[in-house]
Amino acid sequence: MSETRRGFHEELERVELEILGLGDLAERAVGRAVDALVTGDADLATAVVAGDDEIDERYLQIEQRILRLFALQTPVASDLRLLSAMLHIDPHLERIGDQAVNIAKTYLAVHDLPTSPIVVSHIQEMAGIARSMIRTALEALRRRDRHACLRLPEMDDPVDRLNLGMYQEVALLAPDPDRLRWGLRMLLVARQLERVGDNAVDIGEQVWFLLTGEFREFTDASHPVIIGPDTD
Amino acid sequence: MRRIEVSGLSAWFGRKQVLHEVGLVAEPRAVTAIIGPSGCGKSTLIRCINRMHEEVRGARVEGKVLFDGTDIYAPDADPVDIRRRIGMVFQRANPFPTMSILENAVAGLRLGARFPRAELEGRAEQALRAAGLWEEVKDQLSEPGGKLSGGQQQRLCIARALAVEPEVLLMDEPASALDPASTLRIEELIQELKEDFTLIIVTHNMQQAARVSDSTLFMLYGEVVEFGPTEEMFTRPADKRTEDYVTGRFG
Repeated sequence: MSETRRGFHEELERVELEILGLGDLAERAVGRAVDALVTGDADLATAVVAGDDEIDERYLQIEQRILRLFALQTPVASDLRLLSAMLHIDPHLERIGDQAVNIAKTYLAVHDLPTSPIVVSHIQEMAGIARSMIRTALEALRRRDRHACLRLPEMDDPVDRLNLGMYQEVALLAPDPDRLRWGLRMLLVARQLERVGDNAVDIGEQVWFLLTGEFREFTDASHPVIIGPDTD
Repeated sequence: MRRIEVSGLSAWFGRKQVLHEVGLVAEPRAVTAIIGPSGCGKSTLIRCINRMHEEVRGARVEGKVLFDGTDIYAPDADPVDIRRRIGMVFQRANPFPTMSILENAVAGLRLGARFPRAELEGRAEQALRAAGLWEEVKDQLSEPGGKLSGGQQQRLCIARALAVEPEVLLMDEPASALDPASTLRIEELIQELKEDFTLIIVTHNMQQAARVSDSTLFMLYGEVVEFGPTEEMFTRPADKRTEDYVTGRFG
Protein backbone atom coordinates (compact mmCIF):
# COMPACT_ATOMS: atom_id res chain seq x y z
CA MET A 1 0.00 0.00 0.00
CA SER A 2 1.36 3.50 -0.80
CA GLU A 3 2.24 5.92 1.99
CA THR A 4 -0.44 8.35 0.78
CA ARG A 5 -3.12 5.69 0.93
CA ARG A 6 -1.90 4.45 4.31
CA GLY A 7 -2.10 8.04 5.58
CA PHE A 8 -5.65 8.25 4.28
CA HIS A 9 -6.73 5.07 6.04
CA GLU A 10 -5.10 6.19 9.28
CA GLU A 11 -6.94 9.51 9.07
CA LEU A 12 -10.16 7.60 8.38
CA GLU A 13 -9.63 5.63 11.59
CA ARG A 14 -8.86 8.80 13.55
CA VAL A 15 -12.03 10.49 12.29
CA GLU A 16 -14.03 7.44 13.30
CA LEU A 17 -12.55 7.64 16.81
CA GLU A 18 -13.52 11.32 16.89
CA ILE A 19 -17.09 10.39 15.95
CA LEU A 20 -17.21 7.79 18.71
CA GLY A 21 -15.78 10.36 21.14
CA LEU A 22 -18.36 12.93 20.11
CA GLY A 23 -21.05 10.29 20.61
CA ASP A 24 -19.85 9.61 24.15
CA LEU A 25 -19.86 13.33 24.87
CA ALA A 26 -23.40 13.79 23.54
CA GLU A 27 -24.64 10.75 25.46
CA ARG A 28 -23.12 12.07 28.69
CA ALA A 29 -24.69 15.49 28.06
CA VAL A 30 -28.14 13.89 27.91
CA GLY A 31 -27.38 11.97 31.11
CA ARG A 32 -26.19 15.08 32.93
CA ALA A 33 -29.16 17.16 31.77
CA VAL A 34 -31.62 14.56 33.05
CA ASP A 35 -29.62 14.12 36.29
CA ALA A 36 -29.83 17.88 36.86
CA LEU A 37 -33.59 17.72 36.40
CA VAL A 38 -34.04 14.68 38.65
CA THR A 39 -31.78 15.93 41.45
CA GLY A 40 -32.69 19.60 41.15
CA ASP A 41 -29.14 20.66 40.37
CA ALA A 42 -29.28 24.00 38.54
CA ASP A 43 -25.48 24.29 38.42
CA LEU A 44 -25.21 20.98 36.60
CA ALA A 45 -27.90 22.08 34.13
CA THR A 46 -25.97 25.32 33.51
CA ALA A 47 -22.78 23.28 32.93
CA VAL A 48 -24.61 21.16 30.33
CA VAL A 49 -25.63 24.32 28.45
CA ALA A 50 -22.06 25.65 28.58
CA GLY A 51 -20.63 22.31 27.49
CA ASP A 52 -22.49 22.38 24.18
CA ASP A 53 -19.85 24.67 22.66
CA GLU A 54 -17.36 21.82 22.80
CA ILE A 55 -19.81 19.45 21.10
CA ASP A 56 -20.49 22.01 18.36
CA GLU A 57 -16.81 22.63 17.83
CA ARG A 58 -15.97 18.95 17.58
CA TYR A 59 -18.90 18.39 15.23
CA LEU A 60 -17.59 21.11 12.88
CA GLN A 61 -14.03 19.80 13.03
CA ILE A 62 -15.18 16.30 12.13
CA GLU A 63 -17.23 17.65 9.24
CA GLN A 64 -14.22 19.57 7.93
CA ARG A 65 -12.00 16.51 8.16
CA ILE A 66 -14.54 14.36 6.33
CA LEU A 67 -14.98 16.94 3.55
CA ARG A 68 -11.22 17.18 3.23
CA LEU A 69 -10.94 13.42 2.75
CA PHE A 70 -13.72 13.51 0.15
CA ALA A 71 -11.94 16.30 -1.71
CA LEU A 72 -8.41 14.94 -1.56
CA GLN A 73 -8.71 11.16 -1.47
CA THR A 74 -11.62 10.27 -3.77
CA PRO A 75 -12.79 7.51 -1.46
CA VAL A 76 -14.55 4.46 -2.93
CA ALA A 77 -16.23 1.25 -1.75
CA SER A 78 -16.17 0.74 2.05
CA ASP A 79 -14.10 3.91 2.52
CA LEU A 80 -16.78 5.86 0.67
CA ARG A 81 -19.56 4.27 2.69
CA LEU A 82 -17.75 4.92 5.98
CA LEU A 83 -17.15 8.59 5.13
CA SER A 84 -20.71 9.06 3.91
CA ALA A 85 -22.09 7.36 7.03
CA MET A 86 -19.93 9.49 9.31
CA LEU A 87 -20.89 12.67 7.48
CA HIS A 88 -24.52 11.81 8.29
CA ILE A 89 -23.89 10.56 11.84
CA ASP A 90 -21.94 13.68 12.83
CA PRO A 91 -24.94 16.09 12.75
CA HIS A 92 -27.15 13.52 14.51
CA LEU A 93 -24.70 13.59 17.42
CA GLU A 94 -24.62 17.37 17.37
CA ARG A 95 -28.44 17.36 17.48
CA ILE A 96 -28.37 15.02 20.49
CA GLY A 97 -26.11 17.57 22.18
CA ASP A 98 -28.66 20.28 21.38
CA GLN A 99 -31.43 18.12 22.81
CA ALA A 100 -29.46 17.79 26.05
CA VAL A 101 -29.19 21.59 26.12
CA ASN A 102 -32.93 21.93 25.51
CA ILE A 103 -33.63 19.59 28.41
CA ALA A 104 -31.27 21.55 30.69
CA LYS A 105 -32.75 24.90 29.69
CA THR A 106 -36.30 23.65 30.07
CA TYR A 107 -35.50 22.44 33.55
CA LEU A 108 -33.83 25.77 34.45
CA ALA A 109 -36.95 27.65 33.31
CA VAL A 110 -39.14 25.80 35.87
CA HIS A 111 -36.70 24.60 38.50
CA ASP A 112 -38.41 26.62 41.26
CA LEU A 113 -41.82 25.03 40.61
CA PRO A 114 -43.24 21.97 42.40
CA THR A 115 -42.70 18.67 40.58
CA SER A 116 -44.38 15.28 40.24
CA PRO A 117 -42.43 12.13 41.19
CA ILE A 118 -44.35 10.00 38.68
CA VAL A 119 -43.55 12.34 35.80
CA VAL A 120 -39.91 12.50 36.90
CA SER A 121 -39.70 8.71 36.97
CA HIS A 122 -41.19 8.59 33.45
CA ILE A 123 -38.49 10.96 32.29
CA GLN A 124 -35.80 8.94 34.01
CA GLU A 125 -37.02 5.80 32.33
CA MET A 126 -37.16 7.45 28.93
CA ALA A 127 -33.70 8.92 29.41
CA GLY A 128 -32.31 5.51 30.41
CA ILE A 129 -33.56 3.92 27.21
CA ALA A 130 -32.59 6.87 24.99
CA ARG A 131 -29.04 6.86 26.36
CA SER A 132 -28.79 3.13 25.94
CA MET A 133 -29.90 3.60 22.32
CA ILE A 134 -27.07 6.09 21.70
CA ARG A 135 -24.59 3.62 23.19
CA THR A 136 -26.02 0.81 21.06
CA ALA A 137 -25.74 2.92 17.91
CA LEU A 138 -22.12 3.78 18.72
CA GLU A 139 -21.34 0.14 19.48
CA ALA A 140 -22.92 -0.86 16.17
CA LEU A 141 -20.43 1.45 14.46
CA ARG A 142 -17.46 0.46 16.60
CA ARG A 143 -18.04 -3.28 16.15
CA ARG A 144 -19.54 -3.15 12.65
CA ASP A 145 -22.55 -4.94 14.15
CA ARG A 146 -25.66 -5.33 11.99
CA HIS A 147 -27.67 -6.93 14.77
CA ALA A 148 -27.13 -3.92 16.99
CA CYS A 149 -28.49 -1.72 14.18
CA LEU A 150 -31.64 -3.79 14.04
CA ARG A 151 -32.18 -3.61 17.81
CA LEU A 152 -32.49 0.17 17.69
CA PRO A 153 -36.01 0.48 16.24
CA GLU A 154 -37.19 -2.10 18.80
CA MET A 155 -35.63 -0.08 21.61
CA ASP A 156 -37.31 3.03 20.28
CA ASP A 157 -40.85 1.68 20.75
CA PRO A 158 -40.99 2.04 24.57
CA VAL A 159 -39.56 5.57 24.29
CA ASP A 160 -42.40 6.50 21.98
CA ARG A 161 -44.95 4.85 24.29
CA LEU A 162 -43.58 6.59 27.38
CA ASN A 163 -43.66 9.90 25.53
CA LEU A 164 -47.36 9.40 24.75
CA GLY A 165 -48.05 8.28 28.35
CA MET A 166 -46.62 11.57 29.60
CA TYR A 167 -49.69 13.44 28.36
CA GLN A 168 -51.97 11.49 30.68
CA GLU A 169 -49.64 11.99 33.65
CA VAL A 170 -49.36 15.71 33.04
CA ALA A 171 -53.14 16.04 32.59
CA LEU A 172 -53.53 14.69 36.14
CA LEU A 173 -51.57 17.72 37.39
CA ALA A 174 -54.32 20.09 36.24
CA PRO A 175 -55.73 20.82 39.76
CA ASP A 176 -52.41 22.43 40.78
CA PRO A 177 -51.59 25.29 38.37
CA ASP A 178 -47.89 25.50 39.33
CA ARG A 179 -47.39 21.74 38.98
CA LEU A 180 -49.25 21.89 35.69
CA ARG A 181 -46.91 24.65 34.42
CA TRP A 182 -43.96 22.47 35.41
CA GLY A 183 -45.62 19.39 33.87
CA LEU A 184 -46.23 21.10 30.54
CA ARG A 185 -42.49 21.84 30.33
CA MET A 186 -41.80 18.20 31.10
CA LEU A 187 -43.76 17.28 27.98
CA LEU A 188 -41.12 19.24 26.08
CA VAL A 189 -38.39 17.32 27.89
CA ALA A 190 -40.05 14.01 26.98
CA ARG A 191 -40.29 15.15 23.39
CA GLN A 192 -36.53 15.89 23.38
CA LEU A 193 -35.77 12.42 24.73
CA GLU A 194 -37.99 10.89 22.09
CA ARG A 195 -35.99 12.81 19.47
CA VAL A 196 -32.73 11.51 21.00
CA GLY A 197 -34.07 7.99 20.38
CA ASP A 198 -34.95 8.89 16.79
CA ASN A 199 -31.45 10.21 16.22
CA ALA A 200 -30.00 6.95 17.54
CA VAL A 201 -32.19 4.99 15.09
CA ASP A 202 -31.00 7.23 12.26
CA ILE A 203 -27.39 6.56 13.24
CA GLY A 204 -28.18 2.84 13.14
CA GLU A 205 -29.51 3.29 9.59
CA GLN A 206 -26.22 4.88 8.59
CA VAL A 207 -24.22 2.04 10.13
CA TRP A 208 -26.47 -0.40 8.27
CA PHE A 209 -25.60 1.44 5.04
CA LEU A 210 -21.92 1.24 5.90
CA LEU A 211 -22.15 -2.51 6.43
CA THR A 212 -24.48 -3.49 3.60
CA GLY A 213 -24.28 -0.72 1.00
CA GLU A 214 -28.05 -0.40 1.09
CA PHE A 215 -30.00 2.40 2.65
CA ARG A 216 -33.20 1.51 4.43
CA GLU A 217 -35.33 3.49 6.80
CA PHE A 218 -35.92 1.36 9.86
CA THR A 219 -38.97 3.40 10.77
CA ASP A 220 -40.77 6.36 9.33
CA ALA A 221 -44.02 8.15 9.96
CA SER A 222 -45.93 6.70 7.02
CA HIS A 223 -44.60 3.12 7.34
CA PRO A 224 -44.24 2.35 11.03
CA VAL A 225 -41.91 -0.64 10.77
CA ILE A 226 -40.02 -1.57 7.62
CA ILE A 227 -37.62 -4.14 8.94
CA GLY A 228 -38.78 -7.72 9.14
CA PRO A 229 -37.57 -11.29 9.51
CA ASP A 230 -35.67 -11.13 6.22
CA THR A 231 -33.37 -8.43 7.44
CA ASP A 232 -30.26 -10.43 7.98
CA MET B 1 -25.75 -4.89 -32.32
CA ARG B 2 -21.95 -4.47 -31.98
CA ARG B 3 -21.79 -6.65 -28.91
CA ILE B 4 -18.49 -8.15 -27.83
CA GLU B 5 -18.61 -11.38 -25.89
CA VAL B 6 -15.40 -12.91 -24.62
CA SER B 7 -15.43 -16.34 -23.01
CA GLY B 8 -12.79 -18.77 -21.80
CA LEU B 9 -10.07 -16.58 -23.25
CA SER B 10 -6.49 -17.56 -22.44
CA ALA B 11 -3.39 -15.98 -23.93
CA TRP B 12 0.31 -16.69 -23.92
CA PHE B 13 3.57 -14.98 -24.75
CA GLY B 14 5.68 -17.98 -25.67
CA ARG B 15 5.26 -20.39 -22.74
CA LYS B 16 4.14 -17.74 -20.31
CA GLN B 17 0.39 -17.69 -19.84
CA VAL B 18 -0.85 -14.12 -19.27
CA LEU B 19 -4.63 -14.58 -19.47
CA HIS B 20 -6.55 -17.36 -17.76
CA GLU B 21 -10.07 -18.18 -19.00
CA VAL B 22 -11.19 -14.57 -19.12
CA GLY B 23 -14.84 -13.69 -19.75
CA LEU B 24 -16.36 -10.31 -20.59
CA VAL B 25 -19.45 -8.88 -22.26
CA ALA B 26 -19.20 -5.37 -23.71
CA GLU B 27 -22.61 -4.01 -24.59
CA PRO B 28 -23.22 -1.59 -27.46
CA ARG B 29 -23.70 2.09 -26.59
CA ALA B 30 -21.87 1.53 -23.34
CA VAL B 31 -18.37 1.96 -22.00
CA THR B 32 -16.70 -1.06 -20.47
CA ALA B 33 -13.61 -0.30 -18.39
CA ILE B 34 -10.87 -2.79 -17.61
CA ILE B 35 -8.88 -2.00 -14.48
CA GLY B 36 -6.13 -3.76 -12.60
CA PRO B 37 -2.51 -3.32 -11.56
CA SER B 38 0.33 -3.18 -14.07
CA GLY B 39 1.00 -6.55 -15.63
CA CYS B 40 -2.44 -7.99 -14.83
CA GLY B 41 -3.16 -8.63 -18.50
CA LYS B 42 -5.60 -5.85 -19.27
CA SER B 43 -3.78 -4.58 -22.37
CA THR B 44 -3.31 -8.14 -23.60
CA LEU B 45 -7.03 -8.70 -23.17
CA ILE B 46 -8.08 -5.81 -25.40
CA ARG B 47 -5.39 -6.68 -27.91
CA CYS B 48 -7.01 -10.11 -28.15
CA ILE B 49 -10.34 -8.44 -28.93
CA ASN B 50 -9.13 -7.19 -32.31
CA ARG B 51 -6.56 -9.89 -32.99
CA MET B 52 -3.54 -7.70 -32.38
CA HIS B 53 -2.09 -9.98 -29.71
CA GLU B 54 -1.13 -12.55 -32.35
CA GLU B 55 1.07 -9.97 -34.08
CA VAL B 56 3.62 -10.46 -31.31
CA ARG B 57 6.09 -13.21 -32.07
CA GLY B 58 5.32 -16.37 -30.10
CA ALA B 59 1.96 -15.07 -28.90
CA ARG B 60 -1.00 -17.41 -28.80
CA VAL B 61 -4.71 -17.23 -27.95
CA GLU B 62 -7.35 -19.79 -26.98
CA GLY B 63 -11.02 -19.25 -26.26
CA LYS B 64 -13.74 -17.25 -27.90
CA VAL B 65 -14.25 -13.62 -28.83
CA LEU B 66 -17.66 -13.19 -30.39
CA PHE B 67 -18.46 -10.01 -32.28
CA ASP B 68 -22.20 -9.92 -32.87
CA GLY B 69 -22.19 -13.64 -32.35
CA THR B 70 -19.44 -14.38 -34.87
CA ASP B 71 -16.13 -15.75 -33.64
CA ILE B 72 -13.33 -13.40 -34.69
CA TYR B 73 -10.90 -16.30 -34.33
CA ALA B 74 -12.82 -18.52 -36.76
CA PRO B 75 -10.54 -19.92 -39.51
CA ASP B 76 -12.25 -17.85 -42.19
CA ALA B 77 -12.13 -14.57 -40.22
CA ASP B 78 -10.01 -11.85 -41.81
CA PRO B 79 -7.81 -10.10 -39.19
CA VAL B 80 -7.50 -6.96 -41.31
CA ASP B 81 -11.27 -6.62 -41.63
CA ILE B 82 -11.66 -7.32 -37.90
CA ARG B 83 -9.17 -4.58 -37.03
CA ARG B 84 -11.07 -2.15 -39.26
CA ARG B 85 -14.33 -2.94 -37.55
CA ILE B 86 -12.77 -3.04 -34.08
CA GLY B 87 -10.43 -0.05 -33.92
CA MET B 88 -7.83 0.77 -31.33
CA VAL B 89 -6.40 3.92 -29.76
CA PHE B 90 -3.13 3.61 -27.87
CA GLN B 91 -1.66 5.15 -24.74
CA ARG B 92 0.79 7.40 -26.55
CA ALA B 93 -0.60 9.56 -29.29
CA ASN B 94 1.16 8.36 -32.40
CA PRO B 95 0.20 10.55 -35.35
CA PHE B 96 2.48 10.42 -38.37
CA PRO B 97 4.49 13.50 -37.41
CA THR B 98 5.29 14.88 -40.84
CA MET B 99 1.95 13.99 -42.40
CA SER B 100 -0.61 16.81 -42.43
CA ILE B 101 -3.50 16.79 -40.00
CA LEU B 102 -5.88 15.94 -42.82
CA GLU B 103 -3.71 13.12 -44.13
CA ASN B 104 -3.31 11.76 -40.62
CA ALA B 105 -7.05 11.66 -40.13
CA VAL B 106 -7.61 9.57 -43.24
CA ALA B 107 -4.37 7.57 -43.17
CA GLY B 108 -6.27 4.36 -42.42
CA LEU B 109 -8.61 4.86 -45.35
CA ARG B 110 -5.79 5.36 -47.83
CA LEU B 111 -4.20 2.08 -46.83
CA GLY B 112 -7.15 0.10 -48.12
CA ALA B 113 -8.30 1.86 -51.26
CA ARG B 114 -8.11 4.97 -53.39
CA PHE B 115 -10.58 7.72 -52.72
CA PRO B 116 -11.23 10.95 -54.62
CA ARG B 117 -9.73 13.97 -52.84
CA ALA B 118 -13.15 15.48 -52.12
CA GLU B 119 -14.35 12.31 -50.43
CA LEU B 120 -11.17 12.06 -48.35
CA GLU B 121 -11.69 15.63 -47.18
CA GLY B 122 -15.28 14.90 -46.33
CA ARG B 123 -14.36 11.77 -44.37
CA ALA B 124 -11.55 13.65 -42.60
CA GLU B 125 -13.93 16.41 -41.53
CA GLN B 126 -16.45 13.85 -40.34
CA ALA B 127 -13.83 11.98 -38.30
CA LEU B 128 -12.27 15.14 -36.89
CA ARG B 129 -15.72 16.39 -35.87
CA ALA B 130 -16.50 13.07 -34.19
CA ALA B 131 -13.22 13.29 -32.34
CA GLY B 132 -14.07 16.81 -31.18
CA LEU B 133 -11.07 18.31 -32.95
CA TRP B 134 -12.54 19.92 -36.07
CA GLU B 135 -13.12 23.40 -34.66
CA GLU B 136 -9.55 23.57 -33.37
CA VAL B 137 -7.82 22.44 -36.56
CA LYS B 138 -10.11 23.31 -39.48
CA ASP B 139 -7.94 26.27 -40.50
CA GLN B 140 -4.66 24.37 -40.35
CA LEU B 141 -5.47 21.05 -41.99
CA SER B 142 -2.30 21.08 -44.04
CA GLU B 143 -0.06 21.62 -41.00
CA PRO B 144 1.89 18.59 -39.75
CA GLY B 145 0.10 16.47 -37.14
CA GLY B 146 3.21 16.59 -34.97
CA LYS B 147 2.64 20.31 -34.33
CA LEU B 148 -0.52 19.71 -32.30
CA SER B 149 -0.55 19.53 -28.49
CA GLY B 150 -0.49 16.11 -26.79
CA GLY B 151 -4.24 16.15 -26.16
CA GLN B 152 -4.96 17.23 -29.73
CA GLN B 153 -2.65 14.55 -31.09
CA GLN B 154 -4.53 11.92 -29.13
CA ARG B 155 -7.83 13.18 -30.52
CA LEU B 156 -6.25 13.14 -33.99
CA CYS B 157 -5.45 9.47 -33.42
CA ILE B 158 -9.04 8.90 -32.32
CA ALA B 159 -10.17 10.65 -35.53
CA ARG B 160 -7.85 8.37 -37.50
CA ALA B 161 -9.39 5.34 -35.83
CA LEU B 162 -12.91 6.65 -36.48
CA ALA B 163 -12.29 7.51 -40.15
CA VAL B 164 -12.34 3.85 -41.17
CA GLU B 165 -15.81 3.65 -39.61
CA PRO B 166 -15.26 1.00 -36.96
CA GLU B 167 -18.10 -0.38 -34.87
CA VAL B 168 -16.12 -0.97 -31.72
CA LEU B 169 -13.37 1.23 -30.31
CA LEU B 170 -10.74 -0.19 -27.97
CA MET B 171 -8.76 2.36 -25.98
CA ASP B 172 -5.57 1.41 -24.17
CA GLU B 173 -4.83 4.04 -21.52
CA PRO B 174 -5.96 6.80 -23.91
CA ALA B 175 -5.38 9.65 -21.47
CA SER B 176 -2.54 8.47 -19.29
CA ALA B 177 0.05 10.66 -21.04
CA LEU B 178 -2.16 13.78 -21.01
CA ASP B 179 -2.58 16.75 -18.68
CA PRO B 180 -5.83 17.03 -16.64
CA ALA B 181 -7.59 19.38 -19.09
CA SER B 182 -6.80 17.17 -22.09
CA THR B 183 -7.79 14.12 -20.05
CA LEU B 184 -11.16 15.70 -19.30
CA ARG B 185 -11.61 16.44 -23.00
CA ILE B 186 -10.92 12.78 -23.86
CA GLU B 187 -13.33 11.64 -21.16
CA GLU B 188 -16.05 13.91 -22.56
CA LEU B 189 -15.30 12.55 -26.00
CA ILE B 190 -15.69 8.98 -24.71
CA GLN B 191 -19.15 9.91 -23.46
CA GLU B 192 -20.06 11.34 -26.87
CA LEU B 193 -18.63 8.36 -28.77
CA LYS B 194 -20.57 5.89 -26.69
CA GLU B 195 -23.75 7.01 -28.48
CA ASP B 196 -22.45 5.37 -31.65
CA PHE B 197 -19.85 2.80 -30.64
CA THR B 198 -19.15 -0.05 -28.31
CA LEU B 199 -16.27 1.23 -26.22
CA ILE B 200 -13.78 -0.75 -24.18
CA ILE B 201 -11.20 1.24 -22.27
CA VAL B 202 -8.19 0.01 -20.37
CA THR B 203 -7.10 2.35 -17.62
CA HIS B 204 -5.21 2.21 -14.39
CA ASN B 205 -6.77 5.48 -13.37
CA MET B 206 -9.64 4.12 -11.31
CA GLN B 207 -11.38 7.46 -11.01
CA GLN B 208 -11.39 7.64 -14.77
CA ALA B 209 -13.02 4.22 -14.94
CA ALA B 210 -15.55 5.41 -12.37
CA ARG B 211 -16.28 8.59 -14.32
CA VAL B 212 -16.61 7.25 -17.84
CA SER B 213 -17.70 3.62 -17.75
CA ASP B 214 -20.96 1.76 -17.36
CA SER B 215 -19.40 -1.60 -16.53
CA THR B 216 -16.04 -2.36 -14.98
CA LEU B 217 -13.94 -5.49 -15.09
CA PHE B 218 -11.26 -5.91 -12.47
CA MET B 219 -8.34 -8.20 -13.32
CA LEU B 220 -5.56 -9.62 -11.22
CA TYR B 221 -2.77 -11.95 -12.40
CA GLY B 222 -4.47 -12.54 -15.75
CA GLU B 223 -7.81 -13.52 -14.21
CA VAL B 224 -11.12 -11.74 -13.87
CA VAL B 225 -11.80 -11.04 -10.22
CA GLU B 226 -15.05 -9.16 -10.65
CA PHE B 227 -17.13 -7.78 -13.50
CA GLY B 228 -20.23 -5.67 -12.96
CA PRO B 229 -21.90 -2.27 -13.08
CA THR B 230 -19.31 0.43 -12.39
CA GLU B 231 -21.40 1.98 -9.63
CA GLU B 232 -21.49 -1.32 -7.75
CA MET B 233 -17.76 -1.85 -8.17
CA PHE B 234 -16.96 1.51 -6.62
CA THR B 235 -19.59 1.57 -3.88
CA ARG B 236 -20.02 -2.03 -2.81
CA PRO B 237 -17.73 -4.45 -4.61
CA ALA B 238 -18.58 -8.10 -4.02
CA ASP B 239 -15.02 -9.44 -3.89
CA LYS B 240 -12.60 -8.56 -1.10
CA ARG B 241 -9.74 -8.27 -3.64
CA THR B 242 -11.70 -5.67 -5.62
CA GLU B 243 -12.42 -3.81 -2.40
CA ASP B 244 -8.72 -3.83 -1.49
CA TYR B 245 -7.67 -2.69 -4.93
CA VAL B 246 -10.14 0.17 -5.41
CA THR B 247 -9.60 1.48 -1.89
CA GLY B 248 -5.81 1.35 -2.33
CA ARG B 249 -5.23 -1.35 0.29
CA PHE B 250 -3.77 -3.65 -2.35
CA GLY B 251 -0.03 -4.28 -2.58
